[in-house]
Amino acid sequence: MNLRYITKELYYQKRRTLTSILGLSIGIALLIILNALSLAYRQAAHVPLKEIGADITVQRSGDVPKELTGPVFPCSAVTIRKEEVEKIQKLPGVRGIGTGLLLWVFDPNRAWIVLGIEKENSIGPSLLRSSVTEGRFLEDGKPEALVEQAYARQFGIRLNDTISVADKKFPVVGFVDASRAAKIAVANVYLPITEAQNLAASSRQLQSVSPFEPGDVNLVFVKADQEKISDLAATMKEILGKKATVATPDSFLKLLGSLFALSDKFTLAASLIAIIVAILIAFKTMAGNIAERAREIGVLKAVGWTNRNVVSQLMSEAVIQCFMAGILGLVIGLVTAYGLSFMKVNIPIPWEMSPTPHFLPGGGDQIFKTLRLPVHVPLTLAIFAILLSIIIGGMTGGLLGRHISKIKPSEVLRHE
Amino acid sequence: MSKSPILSGTDLSKKYGALEVVKGVSLTIGAGEFVCLVGKSGCGKTTLLSLLSGLEKPTKGHVILNGKEIDGASEDELALFRRENVGFIFQSFNLIPTLSAWENVALPLFPLKMTNEERRKRATELLDKMELGHRIEHLPSALSGGEKQRVAIARALINHPKIIFADEPTGNLDSSTGEAIMDILNRLHRDEGVAILMVTHEVELAKAANRFIRMKDGEVVS
Repeated sequence: MNLRYITKELYYQKRRTLTSILGLSIGIALLIILNALSLAYRQAAHVPLKEIGADITVQRSGDVPKELTGPVFPCSAVTIRKEEVEKIQKLPGVRGIGTGLLLWVFDPNRAWIVLGIEKENSIGPSLLRSSVTEGRFLEDGKPEALVEQAYARQFGIRLNDTISVADKKFPVVGFVDASRAAKIAVANVYLPITEAQNLAASSRQLQSVSPFEPGDVNLVFVKADQEKISDLAATMKEILGKKATVATPDSFLKLLGSLFALSDKFTLAASLIAIIVAILIAFKTMAGNIAERAREIGVLKAVGWTNRNVVSQLMSEAVIQCFMAGILGLVIGLVTAYGLSFMKVNIPIPWEMSPTPHFLPGGGDQIFKTLRLPVHVPLTLAIFAILLSIIIGGMTGGLLGRHISKIKPSEVLRHE
Repeated sequence: MSKSPILSGTDLSKKYGALEVVKGVSLTIGAGEFVCLVGKSGCGKTTLLSLLSGLEKPTKGHVILNGKEIDGASEDELALFRRENVGFIFQSFNLIPTLSAWENVALPLFPLKMTNEERRKRATELLDKMELGHRIEHLPSALSGGEKQRVAIARALINHPKIIFADEPTGNLDSSTGEAIMDILNRLHRDEGVAILMVTHEVELAKAANRFIRMKDGEVVS
């Protein structure tokens, strides 16, 4: 292999070199973009759960009482027993757990969506602590309430007012901005979970369709080992029975409805096609280039180059060209990924995960989490693309070099 | 012929399918001898030169070049043997278009382990001898026909060959440039003692040689 010969060949045969480099770089860029997009959709699908500090949410659907008075459960979230929560907590792969209790409270002159939250937990709705806009967060053991800011504005509720929920008085100690918080389990009023549990336990309406004891909940948020999420989801369904609703990032991925979000197989198939296209482009352009150089190869052999010398020269040329194509493909991929990262996606939040009574204003509206698609090219993908280019170069150069090195110099050097 | 043989071919034949292009030719060339192979186009001169130089294998017969029987050697053995013992000059120069004059001259040295400075030094010395010292960095496209052929001659000499095979070396040149090239070949033969086997269809050029071999229809006729 003579580097001087390679660089001169690539430099002076600009058309050939550029054709090869551009062709292959498009294939490589395609591979990078497809994978970056797929990854971006996967990351986007994680966002709704990540915002609430969880990887899995667990609910159980049930019946709604015939008469809607006082505290009731929404049909998508009925009792999950304390023992069931403990079983989930002990599953291997579960790193932590958060709980909540979501109630619809129908008072004579107002309907509330009430969420009972734990005082302090990095998993679940107690993350609202960071969304307090006025006043303070709930303190342990005190019967007090936080009110959603927009709701408070709409109904003229002020800080330190006392609100009556299911005939129980709660001083308003703060406001929270739900638009800054997670879109899952959104409520109008937030109470300490024990207060919400007491309200639920004392509701005859609620008990009539879903027996409830203090200590039970109806929302469970699970932080889990990433590689065990699917298995854990299946086990949790077994624990809670067939009415269990277990949401994972994959559930949101399916809701996104994009081809990239539909299945891993699509990305895999598209990537394979991109790789095959890249190989074919490289092979076709280089085969043409090498065929044009049959006479030159004949000269090399006549002046004493062995087949191995010829193959090594052509292979090195191909590897350098493909390496350059890989770099160009990576640059195209990075620029495209940057452009695509301005794209916005709406991730639908299923009604069941943030239920509101349909007859309340905005009750049936679809909730979306809107975010910029987090398209980026991870280092591993970049390295893979460059390595793949080099391998394609080595393979193509080697195969074509072996083929062309078999020509007889006498056949190509006969004078015209 | 008084000198010890550098090249001998015995009963050489070459067939392409049913067509026999060279028919049982035997010849010997002494060390430092200048021999011309003459004959009309298509009479088998170039094929015979290919057989004798190891570019092609004979269908029948044997070739001994510089004491080595080459007709049974593998492709790579032949390439290595050519690199060390043989120089080639072609009618259409066959320079690599992307390499400068000195790089073309040094082409046989590229697979050898040596620095580019060494290669350049050896190539430049030869180009100086060919009066092309001022053109060493030029690409073939910037050289005239005569200059290209002189670069090709320098390339043929880079490994100090015992014999040069020249296939119509003046065929693409005008008569005065052709004469200049013939002068260089004569000088090489006379001063350096290099054996030359030159194929030509011009009988006038053959007069410069020690002897000439005439071919007709694949056979040596005189």
